[in-house]
Amino acid sequence: MFFHNLKIAFRNLAKQKVLSFINISGLSIGLGCFVLFLLFAVHEFTYDRFHQNAANIYRVAEWIQTPERQGGDAFGGTPLGPAIKADFSDVKAYARIQAGFDDKFVRVNNDVTRSKISFADPQLFKMFSFKTIAGDAFTALNDKQTVVLTKEKAIQLFGRTDVVGSRVDIKMGEQYEPFVVGAVTEDIPSNSSIRYSILGSYAYLMASDMGRQSDGNWHMTIGSETYLLLDSKSNLAQDAGRLAQFRRSHMPGEEEELKKMGVWDGKGPFPVRFLLQPLKDVHTNPAIGGPSDTIDPKIIWILIAIASAILIIACINFTTIAIGRSSARAKEVGIKKVTGSRRGQLIGQFLTESILLSVFAVILGCVLAMLLLPFFNQLAGRELHFSFSQFPQLLWLLLALTLLTGLFAGIYPAFVLSSFRPIEAIKNKIRLGGSNLFTKSLVSFQFVLSIVLIISTLVLLQQLKFLRTQNIGFQKENVLVVDADGTDAKKIYPLFRQMVLSNTAFAGISASEMGMGEGKGLMGTGFQYEGETKGVIMYPVDAGFLKTMKMQLLAGRDFNPELTTDTVDAIIANEALLKDFGLTLSTAVGAELKERRFGDQLISRRIIGVVRNFNYASLKQEVRPQMFFQPPQLQPTKFYIRLRSGDPSTALAFLQAAWKKLAPEFPLRYSFLDEDMNRFYVFEERWSRVAGWAGGICIFLACLGLFGLAALTAVNRTKEIGIRKVLGASVSSIVTLLSKDFLKLVLIAFVIASPLAWLLMHKFLQEYAYRISIGWWVFILTGVVALLVAFVTIGSQALKSAVANPAKNLRTE
Amino acid sequence: MIALQHISKWYNIGGKPNFVLKDINLNIQEGEFLSIMGPSGSGKSTLLNIIGMLDLPNEGRYDFFGQSVYDMKEKHRQDLYKKNIGFIFQAYHLIDELNVYENIETPLLYQNVKSSERKAMVGDMLDRFNIVGKKDLFPSQLSGGQQQLVGIARALIAKPRLLLADEPTGNLNSKQGEEIMQLFKQLNEEEGITIIQVTHSEKNAEYGSRKIDLLDGRIQQHIKENISL
Ligand SMILES: Nc1ncnc2c1ncn2[C@@H]1O[C@H](COP(=O)(O)OP(=O)(O)OP(=O)(O)O)[C@@H](O)[C@H]1O
Ligand SMILES: [Mg+2]
Repeated sequence: MFFHNLKIAFRNLAKQKVLSFINISGLSIGLGCFVLFLLFAVHEFTYDRFHQNAANIYRVAEWIQTPERQGGDAFGGTPLGPAIKADFSDVKAYARIQAGFDDKFVRVNNDVTRSKISFADPQLFKMFSFKTIAGDAFTALNDKQTVVLTKEKAIQLFGRTDVVGSRVDIKMGEQYEPFVVGAVTEDIPSNSSIRYSILGSYAYLMASDMGRQSDGNWHMTIGSETYLLLDSKSNLAQDAGRLAQFRRSHMPGEEEELKKMGVWDGKGPFPVRFLLQPLKDVHTNPAIGGPSDTIDPKIIWILIAIASAILIIACINFTTIAIGRSSARAKEVGIKKVTGSRRGQLIGQFLTESILLSVFAVILGCVLAMLLLPFFNQLAGRELHFSFSQFPQLLWLLLALTLLTGLFAGIYPAFVLSSFRPIEAIKNKIRLGGSNLFTKSLVSFQFVLSIVLIISTLVLLQQLKFLRTQNIGFQKENVLVVDADGTDAKKIYPLFRQMVLSNTAFAGISASEMGMGEGKGLMGTGFQYEGETKGVIMYPVDAGFLKTMKMQLLAGRDFNPELTTDTVDAIIANEALLKDFGLTLSTAVGAELKERRFGDQLISRRIIGVVRNFNYASLKQEVRPQMFFQPPQLQPTKFYIRLRSGDPSTALAFLQAAWKKLAPEFPLRYSFLDEDMNRFYVFEERWSRVAGWAGGICIFLACLGLFGLAALTAVNRTKEIGIRKVLGASVSSIVTLLSKDFLKLVLIAFVIASPLAWLLMHKFLQEYAYRISIGWWVFILTGVVALLVAFVTIGSQALKSAVANPAKNLRTE
Repeated sequence: MIALQHISKWYNIGGKPNFVLKDINLNIQEGEFLSIMGPSGSGKSTLLNIIGMLDLPNEGRYDFFGQSVYDMKEKHRQDLYKKNIGFIFQAYHLIDELNVYENIETPLLYQNVKSSERKAMVGDMLDRFNIVGKKDLFPSQLSGGQQQLVGIARALIAKPRLLLADEPTGNLNSKQGEEIMQLFKQLNEEEGITIIQVTHSEKNAEYGSRKIDLLDGRIQQHIKENISL
């Protein structure tokens, strides 16, 4: 029976080539997209689960809960790990790891490259399941001057992996220090929160200046995380009491201090506490900050929802086409019933057909997904691979997907077709022709999904454009940023500046102690004015910074390199700062603010100028109070060079040469400020692209289905069209006749989709401090495009049957 | 074998019942060869479909081998139908996607006959109707007469005791029609299969052992020797 069904299924597929093509290609595209998103979801949801001890590993985080703020971060002090292990017998081991923050120069056989250096306790390799391929990573990290490399790094540095015992020089501070490679490990799986390429010993870190300072200091962090391996029976993670006790015993003055600062009133729960975060939670809990990327599970689910929408549209195509073809299958159903088939058997037969189709489509979809994977990786910012060894669950997920798709697409037609009464079916009295209410609603539903996605994309793109072109208070175009961090920048800068200024290709150069374009590493402190204290962000810059960045001075003056007093107390504030302190443009210049230093020390600062509000951060946030000051001894890490507009290549070549002359031992690292700043909007860009592609695919699939339906209608109504033409109907009246009903469905879809999309995007835009208002033209545009595309699709089919020879059609009936 | 009592069937048209069959009483013994005649629209096909359990009357009682058809469970009726009744249509109604062999085989699939047995049975049929050479052809590759032979073979494969034929020769030329009628007669006489056929041709009706005439849903007269009453 099964083979009999398969046989019919195959022959039907072969007979209806166009419809089979629509069905299989549509489903394959839908499944291909779904498989990609599925891979992404599996990847994100399996983060860190490859460690054998994953269930018993926790990260120590500090959770702060006040009315204004709640959140956690995983950067604990260095004494935390040893103390917690000593205090609790159910903590079996701890490992501290400092992820590499800045790039250090690494020298192997006189080749210098830059790389992040991480540091960890040797226990890391006992607790976690990173595989070693050469040497012994555990013993290696017991030695201060030993490093562990990943396979990839070893190949990059040495060209091979058997490098245990080889020497690597790393520039720590002012000079290179020798290290020995103690072990090489397998590359770190892409779904790991803990990442390193060169891993040094924590003991080395603790011996450094910074490490010595942090030793025994519970209030300082050097940006390292502490992981614990708990006994499998331990309840420490749930036992808030024991953790609170632990905190009190090691930070005894804290309660008094917080009370004095007015953060805590002595009643209610203490606002700061330690929290043990399960390893499995690290990647998917954005509330706790750490060195690795996190993702809100909501986003994963939204992606899955978008992928499901695409798949559903493809499945609906199958359903509507199957219903549209029902008259062609009715005879078969009738005969089978007459020859003794029961309804259940017929349902089985139709489901066999749809599942068979889905098997084909899944295979093709997987091929498609593999071809598209590099593109998708770029879109999603990931490095995914189709690896059944990394994701064994993919196998059964794919099986389930195949079955579900087949069932979902086939169930309705199976029930409808099998319900035909034999006599009517045989006499060809069944005429559903894609026109029953249910299939009509399905077609509309497809277009609702497509239109919502397309409107969302347009709004996202508009918002993105708005964010990028918004006046941010300076000109980010044509500014080249040289990253001089870790070089002898203090010596290089004045000479480099001289050379740049001597060349007319450049309009200016300045420097700063901090990066600005990346939006991290801000420096700020409290300022006092007329008894009120407010937080202000400070930028230590070189004179000429404002000019180079083309910032607009609204009042007062710029820093004057001739005046030494300007390096003592002069500051230039932005409008937001004025507003915060209740100053105006006329009262601001000359105003004195008190800067809070360590302890209760106050330092006087005087406003010499006011600049237009500027924003180095994402426009998601309001512009914050910010100021520039000129330190007496500038330690530049970034050089900002304004190029005259035009081709930057000659200017770049000049900079390369100049750099080589001044600092031959360091490669020149540079970026363009506008590109750096666009990185704030990676999220928006990614989302608009994902939504755009999804919307495009949706409308393509929906039209593919419409095409099939139109073709079917034309076939089902061949006789009617023939008769109408014999009676004198014009081609255009027949095209109208055939297209009208479908276009009505698209129109209905548009009417339903528009308010939905508006609500969705309205809600989304609320997250932005600076946002566009959604224009009505977005809706009109999308509606017109959807109708037009649908009309072209249907019209082509309608035209074909309208111009066909009626005599021929009538004869075949 | 078959006893119909007070069978009526109507369709509501414009709110009023429009009778297709009106108080039909009919007994058919096993081994009969009955011809149903009558003008177009008189209800012949409807009556045949009711006898073949493909259609239900609005009123009346139907006993098949002494069992009341309308009082039994659906599944039971299906079984009764599968085991005992074979249908032949004017328009052949073969499944276009299946070849001759597979078309004939279909009813056996629904009766869970083993594959080896099916082979033998279909082989017999092909032999018997001299269409062995055509077994791999599809319906569209056959002439009308050949298609009807396949239809008959399919109706007979499951060894039914009752063969129902709705204008089996309607689409055939007279020579082909005659051959089919000969075949029916032979099946009826040699194998004792009960046959009920609907026909427009007096000549074809003569092949049968009894004839009834329908007019406006009523049985008009009983011709020839009246075995049943
Ligand atoms: N679904 C229906 N609704 C209303 N009337 C119907 C329906 N089906 C059949 N009829 C009517 O029932 C009557 C009998 O139909 P039937 O097919 O039994 O006639 P017939 O005697 O077989 O005719 P023919 O010789 O043309 O095949 C016809 O008048 C037809 O109009
Ligand atoms: Mg008839």
